Formats: sequence, structure tokens, C-alpha cells
Amino acid sequence: MTRFSRSLQLDSWLVRVVIPLAVLACVPFVLTASWLLNLAVLGLMYAVLASSWNLQAGYTGYISLCHAAFFGIGAYALALWAGPNTASLSGYGPFLLTIPIGLAVGAAAIPIGWVILRTRHVTFAIVTITLLFVVQTLAFNLTGLTGGSQGLAVANPPFSAASFEQPFYYAMLILLALCVVIFELVRRSRLGLSLTALREDEEKARGLGVPTQPLKIGAFAVSIAITAMAGGVWAYYLTFIMPQYAIDPLLMVGTALTAFLGGKGTLWGPAIGALIVVPAQQYFAFRLGASDLYLVSYAAIFLVVILLLPRGVVPSLGEWLRRRRSAAAVAVPVADRAATEPVGVTQ
Amino acid sequence: MRRRILSGRALGAGCVAAALVVGAVACSSGGGSAAGNTVTNGAASTASSKQPLVIGISLSLTGDFGDTGKAAEKGYELWADQVNKSGGILGRQVQLKIVDDTTSANQVVTNYQSLITQDHVNLVFGPVSSLLTVPAARVAARYGYAFIEPAGGAQTVFDLHLHNLFLAQASPVLDLGQSFVDYILSLPPGQRPKTAAYSSVDNPFASPVVALVQQQLQAAGIKTVLSQTYPSEQADLGPVVARVVAAKPDLVVDGTQGEDGYETVKDFVQQKFSPKYLFMPNDASDPVNFPAQVGMSNVNGIYTADTWSPLAKDAGNAAFIKAYLAKYGGAADQIDPTSAEAYTCGELLQEVAAKTGSVSNATIISALHSGSFPTIEGTLSWNADGATNGHSGLLLQWVSHHLVPVFPAADAVTAPLNPKPAWGA
Amino acid sequence: MHTFVQALILGVLTGGVYALMSTGQTLVFGVMRVVNVAQGMLVILSAYLSYTVHQKLGIDPFATIVIVMPAMFALGVLIQLAFIRPVKRNRTEAGFEQTLLIMFALAVGIEGIVDLTYTAEYRSITTSYANSSWTVAGYTFSVVRVLAFALAVALLAALWAVLSKTEFGRAVRATVQNPTSARLLGVDTERIGALGMGLGVSLAGASGAVFGLIYPFNANSSYDLVSRLLSIIVLGGLGSVIGAVVGSLTLGVAEAVVAAMISPVWAPFTFLVVLIVVLLVRPQGLFGTVERGAL
Repeated sequence: MTRFSRSLQLDSWLVRVVIPLAVLACVPFVLTASWLLNLAVLGLMYAVLASSWNLQAGYTGYISLCHAAFFGIGAYALALWAGPNTASLSGYGPFLLTIPIGLAVGAAAIPIGWVILRTRHVTFAIVTITLLFVVQTLAFNLTGLTGGSQGLAVANPPFSAASFEQPFYYAMLILLALCVVIFELVRRSRLGLSLTALREDEEKARGLGVPTQPLKIGAFAVSIAITAMAGGVWAYYLTFIMPQYAIDPLLMVGTALTAFLGGKGTLWGPAIGALIVVPAQQYFAFRLGASDLYLVSYAAIFLVVILLLPRGVVPSLGEWLRRRRSAAAVAVPVADRAATEPVGVTQ
Repeated sequence: MRRRILSGRALGAGCVAAALVVGAVACSSGGGSAAGNTVTNGAASTASSKQPLVIGISLSLTGDFGDTGKAAEKGYELWADQVNKSGGILGRQVQLKIVDDTTSANQVVTNYQSLITQDHVNLVFGPVSSLLTVPAARVAARYGYAFIEPAGGAQTVFDLHLHNLFLAQASPVLDLGQSFVDYILSLPPGQRPKTAAYSSVDNPFASPVVALVQQQLQAAGIKTVLSQTYPSEQADLGPVVARVVAAKPDLVVDGTQGEDGYETVKDFVQQKFSPKYLFMPNDASDPVNFPAQVGMSNVNGIYTADTWSPLAKDAGNAAFIKAYLAKYGGAADQIDPTSAEAYTCGELLQEVAAKTGSVSNATIISALHSGSFPTIEGTLSWNADGATNGHSGLLLQWVSHHLVPVFPAADAVTAPLNPKPAWGA
Repeated sequence: MHTFVQALILGVLTGGVYALMSTGQTLVFGVMRVVNVAQGMLVILSAYLSYTVHQKLGIDPFATIVIVMPAMFALGVLIQLAFIRPVKRNRTEAGFEQTLLIMFALAVGIEGIVDLTYTAEYRSITTSYANSSWTVAGYTFSVVRVLAFALAVALLAALWAVLSKTEFGRAVRATVQNPTSARLLGVDTERIGALGMGLGVSLAGASGAVFGLIYPFNANSSYDLVSRLLSIIVLGGLGSVIGAVVGSLTLGVAEAVVAAMISPVWAPFTFLVVLIVVLLVRPQGLFGTVERGAL
């Protein structure tokens, strides 16, 4: 072990969390053009969605497809609370409102999770899809509350045109930091071990005394809470929401897809997946959309990645690098090799 | 036992890759926008008269609103051709920059952002559908761009109270039902329908129109035997139509949007019910798709409304139709009104230029707010929120398998056909 | 009362059409543990194929099934060989997430191709009898829906015959019940998987023609279908053909009756509520089997 790697532990908080976040925080000073920052905001939003989804999917292994419903609930909650008039606290009020919204939605997710987490993986996935459509139907039909298909106006952000996107960028970045910190804290704790056991074999874990139901419900609630907060920020950014865009099955699939592509269960995989895919997709639609090929190329790229990198970009890259290094090194003892498995990677 | 750092390495690789992508994108944009345009915002567009006038437009060329988007594209391009043939605007050739928003709210915001701040277009025109107009209008307002739009006529658009927005239609959506109400109430009381059923899909284009018609007809003494709304994702309209049929009304007002309009008529036919009066504010006004989907033998007698018809006698309409047919072929009564609305956006720009000698965004906004402008959609003027003043649209009806204006009398081509003939006649 | 019975009739007829679509999907799951989220899009694709054959050759839409069903069977086998088998071979665990994503990506890809070829215009398959109906004892029966129901009954009866009477059918049922045991008994589960997928997709093929006759459609129409089909197979029990049929009839009747008797606004909601209640009481669905482990 060289002196360098001793001083800079690559497994430390500094490298895994602080430095990447610092890099992301500097982005608005590098990409000053509004249109670039717009892409960055949307990319970060998907990074938050994918990372918070990953808190449940990566740790418990349960694929939930109802997160988009809670994204929409967060959006509607903010629209109803912050109203259509000018925003409070010179525009920063709505951002602070997302905190109580997140807590409330998270708390509401607990009884819901208790009900639907009685089913197992495949049925659970399908029940969550159903829940997504139930919530969308409610958003359309409860016109007194949500305005129905006519949509709901949110407060108009008073930020200047030149730096309009910046507050939203930082709001999303704070949410992403929250996801990453939680992920890392759990990974280093006993809680993380329990969750890993749950994911690998739920029956055996329960047999060993791991409290599987409370853990599953807890992961679900935390992940939902952060998703709802992202929904609130998004509503404020767009300033007008409608049921089909606030509770959008395509958003759900986009979240799951980017999390997978990046690497479900890894720390930065989902965020990296989102930060590369989403701005690229928005940009390609802008430049190539009219040629009708964009849907086809989107699908083709995803198919290629899923087939060639089935565990996602981050774990596959890690795997490839490890294979290169162990090919060059002398035979590594078995115990050491086991320790080199990236934590949290599922399949 | 040491934890190894693979995710750290991969993380590093990932960050570098991401940085490269971002860098590449930033560099290409910097290079791209430097060429061509010398102006950084629309306000200074009068500075160089030889530079082309670039107008950015985001349209739904794919996705749910794909057909409407393509019709708008035709209208815009036809106008650009015409105006360039006669010397352009203030000596500048018009260049349209049309991009696809795939009928997505996030994409429409990205598109207008990119058009304004990356491509630095001089002006913008609006997208299709009120649903997309709302977020787009806010982006344009932020940068002080005028927002002339062809398709956002729902009340939600005007509730934004945007000073820079102008609807390029003879009347907002809400007024679509007004011409029908005026017609029914113009009949002597003995000849009016006695009972009415109101059915509508729940969306901003249909339900407010139907609600307004119900309110006015009910007040005039026509009994409401059924009033229902159904969700827009309702797949099977059989039961919805069955409820209307069971109420046996003289008059049916049915608000639809898209394929449920075609299904509704088919279900009426299957359930063998033909009301004396059938008014469908949307869908029945589509001159091509409606008869194709429900069958040409089933259309006679159905009332509908629109703000434009190829048979309307507004200034320049005949010339527009001639030019359209020369460029795209087809028949006059197959022209989608959205093309006419898009054309009108361009006409308004031309007239502001002629009137004021400038096409800066600020001038456009102040000029359009102070005066009225003749277009192929009629003479237009706006209130402070951008809704067109006056006008209650045209009442159209399918007569002898053609869609013609029948009310008000000044615009009518033939007298209305009452009662509605049986299906298949 | 009249309205109720009329709605019941309408519901049963519609349920028949859904039964055709959903049995294919539940079969694919049973045989290969793949949630075919692309089933909706495959139905729409078949609707387009039927439409084209009907336009070009002028034959009746019901007759186009003779061409469309085998074509879709081939497509199903192709999808299984090209995309699903490689994923399943690489890992011992089924990796159901990967197959879910692959099917979704395929659905998006097919949507793009269909949009490119046919544009976003709404199509429907029209025939001389498309709008006609019979009136029996005061109740109207739409001709198209009755014929569609009859077709569904015929095909499902044929499916039942195949599953219970033939060697192939027995192998399929064995694979559905327990793939490992089936393999131990000499069943070539890989081949069964491919053929099972082909069968499931061919059922989508048959329902496409019918769908196109009843509803106007374009490339975007699949999203409505997806959630309904998934809800049906969960209600019925994943992998159970009887369950899919019962689930479809339940969906059709519940929606039609609620729409007619209460209000169209709450009709889709009713079915979803029924689904959630059933899942609380019986998580494996009406006819599903309780499985150990991840499923």
C-alpha cells in the first residue's frame, strides 16, 4: 500500500460524497448559459428521482413503480400550499415548504407501505403500477381540489431571467445530497447489513430475526418522502402542473431506467445514469425530434445497454477495471477477493 | 480487512466521462451560436436589415398532438414562403426554426429556453394546445419575448395574466358554444328543443364549453335531463353513450377531444339513437378525420363550431386557400383550421411591421395591445390577458356531406338543417 | 333495470376482448416469468397489421387473423430468442428487472417504428357492419362486439384444448407450475419458453384485429391498455389462464355497470379498488399459487 493511498482513502466520505457534491455545486459557475443550466436542472431532478428510488430498490430489492404518483402528490401539495400568487420570502418560501411536504408525504407512505408490502416482488411491482394509475385518476377527478384536467397554477418565481435556474439547481442538489448521505450512512451501519440480508433472501433474513416488514416500510417511506420533495421543486420550476404530466408513467419508467443503467444499488450509479441520459435525451429531442427517429434510437440505445451492461454502467465499469487489474496482479487470496465485491450491487 | 475502492475508481471514471460530455456540449453550443446571428436578444433585431429574421417555434410533431402540430407547421411554412416572396419583413427574409416538443411539458420548456438563450432567435411563436402553451408562455415572458400563439385558447392560459401573450384565433375556446346557444335561442319558443342532455370529457377544451351552453340553455327554459362528465382516459364509451340514450333528449351537447368524439358517434349509431339536435363543439369540425372515422353517411346534421372555416368571408381568406392548395394540394374543405391559425400569427407580425416599422418584441407587444388587425380569421383585438375580444365563432353544420357555416346569418352559406337526419342518410 | 342489463351485456362483451389480450400475457409470465409490459403495444401493432392487410387485400378484418396471428407468433419467438434468452442464460437468478426493462424498451421501439410508418393519425378498421347492431328483447348488441366475443371464446377454447389435451400443452403447464421439476422430468423448458412466448404474442395478434374494429387507435393507444392488462392478470393470478378470463370479465362488467348506473367518472376507479381489496385478502390473486421466495 503506497503512502498516497494511505492518505487518501478512496473509500472515505471525502471521496465518495463530499468531492462529487462539491464538483456538482460548481457547475452553475461553469455552465452559465440558461439553456445549459435548464438541462442540468432536469438532469439533476432525474438524478434525485433515481437516487431516492434507489434507496428502496437498491437496499430492499423491491421494484416500486408508484414513485411517480408521490412525485405528483408533492407537486400538487406545493401548488395548493404556495398558491398562484407571488412566492413568499422573495421566492425562497416554496423551497422551504418542500420540507414539511416531504415529511407529511413520508408519514402518509407508512400505512400505504404497510398494506402493499404484504405482497412479494412481482405482485408488488404490479400493485404499484396500479396505485400510480389510481392516483392519476384521482388527480383528474377531484376537480375541486386539483383543478382536474385544467391544471393548477403555482406561484410565479421572482428570480431574474439571467440566473433563474440557479436556485432550482441548488434545491435539487440539496435533495441529491440528502439521498447520497442517507445511502452512505446506511451502508456503513448495521442497518445496511440487515437490508442487504433482506435483499439477498428475505425468508432467511426473517428467520434470523431481521425485522423485514418495518425495514421495507421504512425504506419505502424515506424514498417516497424525497421523491415528493423533488415533485414540489419541479412544480415551482414549471409554474403550472397538470395531472398527466405531474403523475406520469413515463417519468416512472425514466426513473427506473436511469437507475438501472447507472447501476441499481450503487451510490452514484443512478445519479450518473440520470445526468448523462436526461440532458442527452432532452437535447436530442430538441435537435432531432422532428425526424421521428428519436423514439426508435432511444429504445435501441436502452436495449443495447441493457444487453451489454446488464448490471448498469457503474458496476460494469468497476467489474471491467477489476478484471484488468487482477489479470496483471499475482493470484489474489480468496478472502481478499470476496472483500473486493462492490457493496450494494445486486446482480 | 480493508474495503477496496472499486466503486471509487468507477466513480472517478464516471465523473470524468460526465465532465467530458458536458464540456463537449458546452463547446459545441458556444461555436454554434456565434455563427450567423449578431444579436443577443430580440430587442435589437432592427439593427441589421440584411440579417434574416429568425422565428423560433416548438411544435408537437410527434406524440398525442402530432397531427395538430403538423398542420400548424404547414400554416407557418406557407406564410413564410408568401412573405419571403414579397420581400420579407422590413427587407429581412424570414427563417423559421421549428423544433419538436414530443407533446411533453418538460420538453416545451427546454425548447423555448434553448431557442431563446442558445440559438438567440429574434422572435417566437406559440406551440399547439393550451396544455403546452402555459409553461411555454411563462418562459417567453421571462425573457421579454412577445408570444403570439395559434392554439392556446383555454381559460387557463388567460388566467396567467400575461401581458405578452396574444391568441391568434377569432375567439377563445370558451366562446365555441356561444354561437350554438345564440342560434337555438334565435328560434321561436315553439320550435325550440324541450329537453337536453349534456355529456363531456373532462378537459379544458370541452367541459367549460359544454358547461356554458348548459347554463344558458337551462336559464332559457330548456330542461336538462342528463348532465355528466367522463374521464379522458375512459376507453369504452358504450356505457357513457348508453346513459344519454336512456334519457331520450331532444338535444344532445357532447364535448369530446380526439378519438372519443369518433367513438361517441359510432356508439350512437350502434345504439340506434339519433337526437333532433346534436352539437359537438370539437372533433366534428375536423374536415378530414371526422367523416373518415365515423363514416361519411353519418355526418349530416351534426352541428359543430370553429373560429375559422374555408368558406368564411374574411379578408385574405380566399388568397390563403389558393396559396395553400397550390403548395400542398388537396381540397379547401380538408384544410385543418390549425394551419389557418398558424398563418394568422405570421399575418399579425407582418401587420405590426407595416404599421410601426419595427419588429422588436417590445413594439409587437405594445402595438397588438392598441388596435385591431384584420386577418384571415377576422379582425382581431385583445384584452389585457391576451384573449381575443368579441366574436362568438362560427356555427358550422354538416350539410350534404360538407361542413359549412350556418349561423350567424351574415356568415352563413346555407340555412341550418333541422331536425338531424337519421344515421346513414 | 333495463340500463343495468344493457350495461351487463356490454360489459361481458368487452370482457371477452380483454380476455383475449390478457391470457396471452399471463401465459408468457407463467412460462417464462417475464412480465410482458409490451403486450399492449403488440396488440396495437397487430391492429395496424390487420388494418394494412384489410386495406391492401380487401379481406374482412376477422379473416386477416389468419395472416396476423402466425406473423405475431413468429415475432414472439424472435423476441424470446433475441432478447430474453441471452439475459436469462447469463445469470442463475431470473433477473426479472432486466426482462421488464427489455420489454419496455421494445414497446417504446415498436411505438417509434409504428409512428414513423403510419404517423400519429387515428386509424380504425371500418367495414360495412362496423356500426350495425342487433336488437334482441329490447337490448342492443353491437355486431362487431358479438363477433369479437365469439372469436375470443373460440380461440380460448382452442387454447384450453391445446393446454389440456396435447403433449405440448402438458409441457407448458408443467413449466408454469415448476420450471425446475419440469426440466428434471425432461421438458425442454427453453424451447417451451420460446413457443410459449410465441403463443402469448399470437393471442395479442388475434385481439389486435378486434381492437381495431371497436376502438380508433394510434401509436399512443397502448398506455391505456398496459395498466388494464396488468391489473387483470394480477387480479386473476399471475400465470393462470382461467384467472385472466375471470379477471377480464370482472373488469368489463364492473366498468360498464358503474359507468351506466353511477357515473362514468368513477368507473375505472372501481376496478382498481376491487383489485387492491382482493390483493389484501389474497395476495396471489384469485387463481394464483402461493410461491416461495422472491415471487
